[in-house]
Amino acid sequence: MRLFDLPHTTSFRLALRFFLLFGAASLALFGFLYWQTKHYVEGRVDDWLTREQGIFSPMDRSNLVQRLNAHVVADPSLERPLTLFSPAGQRLAGTPLNLAAATLETMPHDDFFKFRFRQGRQDIVFRGLAHRLPSGDLLLVARDMAGTRAFGVVLIDAFIWGGLVTAMIGLVGAAVVGVDAVRRIDGVTRATQRIVSGDLSERLPTDGRSDDFDRLINVINGMLGELERLMQEVKGVCDNIAHDLRTPLTRLLAGLERTRRREGSADDYAVAIDEAILETRGLLNTFAAILRISEVESGARRAGFTDADLCEVIADAAELYEPMAEAKGVRLLVASDRSPAVMRGDPNLLFEAVGNLVDNALKFTPRGGCVTIRAFTGTGTVGIEVIDTGPGISRDEREAVLRRFYRAETSRHTPGSGLGLALVAAVARLHGMDLAINDAGPGCQITIARPTSGGSVLIAPPAAGADWAASEGAGKVPA
Amino acid sequence: MTRVLVVEDDPQTADEIKAALGDHGFEVQHAANGREGLLKAAADCYDAIVLDRMLPGGLDGLGLLATLRAAGVEAPVLILSALSGVDERVRGLRAGGDDYLTKPFDFLELTARLDVLLRRRSAPQRQTMLRAGKLEMDLLTHVVRYAGRLIELLPREYRLLEFLMRHAGQVVTRTMLFEEVWNYRSVEPTNVIDMHISKLRRKLDPESAEPVIRTVRGAGYVLRATV
Repeated sequence: MRLFDLPHTTSFRLALRFFLLFGAASLALFGFLYWQTKHYVEGRVDDWLTREQGIFSPMDRSNLVQRLNAHVVADPSLERPLTLFSPAGQRLAGTPLNLAAATLETMPHDDFFKFRFRQGRQDIVFRGLAHRLPSGDLLLVARDMAGTRAFGVVLIDAFIWGGLVTAMIGLVGAAVVGVDAVRRIDGVTRATQRIVSGDLSERLPTDGRSDDFDRLINVINGMLGELERLMQEVKGVCDNIAHDLRTPLTRLLAGLERTRRREGSADDYAVAIDEAILETRGLLNTFAAILRISEVESGARRAGFTDADLCEVIADAAELYEPMAEAKGVRLLVASDRSPAVMRGDPNLLFEAVGNLVDNALKFTPRGGCVTIRAFTGTGTVGIEVIDTGPGISRDEREAVLRRFYRAETSRHTPGSGLGLALVAAVARLHGMDLAINDAGPGCQITIARPTSGGSVLIAPPAAGADWAASEGAGKVPA
Repeated sequence: MTRVLVVEDDPQTADEIKAALGDHGFEVQHAANGREGLLKAAADCYDAIVLDRMLPGGLDGLGLLATLRAAGVEAPVLILSALSGVDERVRGLRAGGDDYLTKPFDFLELTARLDVLLRRRSAPQRQTMLRAGKLEMDLLTHVVRYAGRLIELLPREYRLLEFLMRHAGQVVTRTMLFEEVWNYRSVEPTNVIDMHISKLRRKLDPESAEPVIRTVRGAGYVLRATV
């Protein structure tokens, strides 16, 4: 950051604005104080003038002249002048104030007023009170205001200096606040530029202060994590589609070419065409499954959310898959903690997810084994689990099996598209549910569950797909 | 001959639908947009209408459908749509549609559904007894007999057989069975439905070489109307 950028930063401007507001408030306060003080001091002077005049006015003339002349000696510096003027404006006694005739004529009687008198080089300001005596003479009582003025000057000086120091502190403070904010924003800007240029693993820097800015950055980082996951998934899906569709397409092409080469009978052609149709249908089904996962992941299906009863869903799924279990010689059990286990969701998608899980479990459970479907609610979670007595999924494959087209080495030769668990994961994510794969010792336990309250369906937790490792054991699944 | 109007803007899809329906024995007319569809449907009498949900121009599928229903056109309408959400389906049916099929679809699925729609129009509404060949189903007592022999069925098997019997002689696809009998709108697990059908077959006539429920390759099943 360059220094001349500082005035353009929001923090600096904000700090400056507060400082100006504070300055205006201080100025108003000072003005009020100054005015009050001045008023008070003048009031004291006025009291004094009234009192002095009250003392001297009733005296008879000779006594007054005598007292005034004595006062001249007592007040040589003209701080408190006391002067008696004749009706014509001649000074009769008291402090030698040789006022101009004009001043004497215009001065008000029995009211306070301000006047100037030049003594030597000094121009002194007085506050005075004039009274016409019954004899026609004019008695002027006055007081030098220099002391009061000096007080005012000190006050103003103090304000100016105080103001300057405050201004300095304010400006420096604004700069410090501005520089801090600019430093953080620069960090965010640099990180964002790196992300824009392709480094999706980059994250915005936080200060660890947990302030509002950090909270915002944490939300954005969560979003970036989700974006990165989706981008990687999209890339993986593209690679896998290319790889997985090439095999059946090659087979289809080879079959058609072989049919053309051998000139067979009409029946041979019919068989070849049927084979080609079957192969093509399989390809279309795979595409349909991919599109379906995308549709679920796009979140558009949330419009179909109602109150879905998981107990009903698993009962229907069990009923649907019963003949398959029977044919395989596997027992299919339904266990529900309590009925009903209701959550917001799309019953059709939940049914499909459970169906996929059961289908998968039946596929890998040997004859004589057992597959249990359970819906549970309470202890803060609601969800479904499917437990089988098959070989289980090895720990290092548990994340991979949720990816599209992933086929474990051991299941390469079992029929299936490799999309079933990916669809389950997508449905779970859409419902804000965590998917956890655990050991059922022996066998596999797959759980999809979400908190019953507080958890928002609209924002899936950022690590919904990758959370399984943390939920290992009994942590998330109520026993 | 059954006359069907196809309202579809994409020429290639329209040609394929026309070919498939023509092969199925329908006489097909085509309209390429909502206006043309409205004019043709209002001017002529069709047994069924296949309607694309999204049409170019001012009049889309649902608008056309609402106008037709308001004008008193009673022909069954099957809506084709690329929109697969449950609420889309509900909206289509609420606008007066009789069935809803999501693109891309199988042409066998389309013809099977059209057959069902056409039959539904002509079938008597209040039946208490279904009969197909040696099969008898009493809809009031839920008693099923095959060649006079009482057949014990689970509730789901009963519904499966009822649907097949109501559409005896017609091809019924696995999707239709899944939607009607299990009442879920998701991708149907093909092989599982096959297993339910074979179970049902075994209960009806375990010995017969010619099963009552015949598999139609690549399409679904058909319950023999006679035998």
